Amino acid sequence: MDWNKDRSVRLTAVFVFLFAAALLSADVLGFIWIPWFISVTAIDKTHLPALAATVYTGSVFAWICLCAMFRLLRSIRDGDVFTEQNARLLRVISWCCAGACIVFLVSVLYYPPFIIIATAAGFMMMIVRVVKNIIQQAAGMKSELDLTV
Amino acid sequence: MKIIVNLDVMMARRKISAGDLAERIGITPANLSVLKTGKAKAIRFSTLMALCHELRCQPGDILEYSEEEED
Repeated sequence: MDWNKDRSVRLTAVFVFLFAAALLSADVLGFIWIPWFISVTAIDKTHLPALAATVYTGSVFAWICLCAMFRLLRSIRDGDVFTEQNARLLRVISWCCAGACIVFLVSVLYYPPFIIIATAAGFMMMIVRVVKNIIQQAAGMKSELDLTV
Repeated sequence: MKIIVNLDVMMARRKISAGDLAERIGITPANLSVLKTGKAKAIRFSTLMALCHELRCQPGDILEYSEEEED
């Protein structure tokens, strides 16, 4: 198969789109699956509003991340990879991961296994921040290189 | 402190157009314009060499150091 950079970007866009569709379904069908989740886990029924708050607050961060990812993919497709704008988008994603980490860390109070999601989000925040620092440094170098004759 | 590019002065002395010079030294007219207007952050030795060769001058004829503050 003749695999190239454009196809890889398109595949990533498809994954992001599928995730957005899944998230939309989860948001719309929350009134069905959140009570079901409570029934299959050890969460007390009185924590239903808290779980809904966790899910929907986390969803807000996820939507912001997805929008940033779509914009990132669009600029990568256009060939603008090392730009300040992309570094800003990565910063937004990293702060969203931090936000999700805090939300799930608080949610550990009523459902301890959420510590796994909080840890994953915190770890993801660190990875994205490192990538953001790399892109920021590269953007500076690129602007200098662009003005080298 | 800044480096002033006196390329337009040398070009006028040698009576050569920007398009001609760009073609002879193998850079784009847009890049030559960046150099002429002082927007360039760096110049390659190869570009400087080609400029000096085509304009029959020394690097000091094209570049000048000034103590004045940058704009």
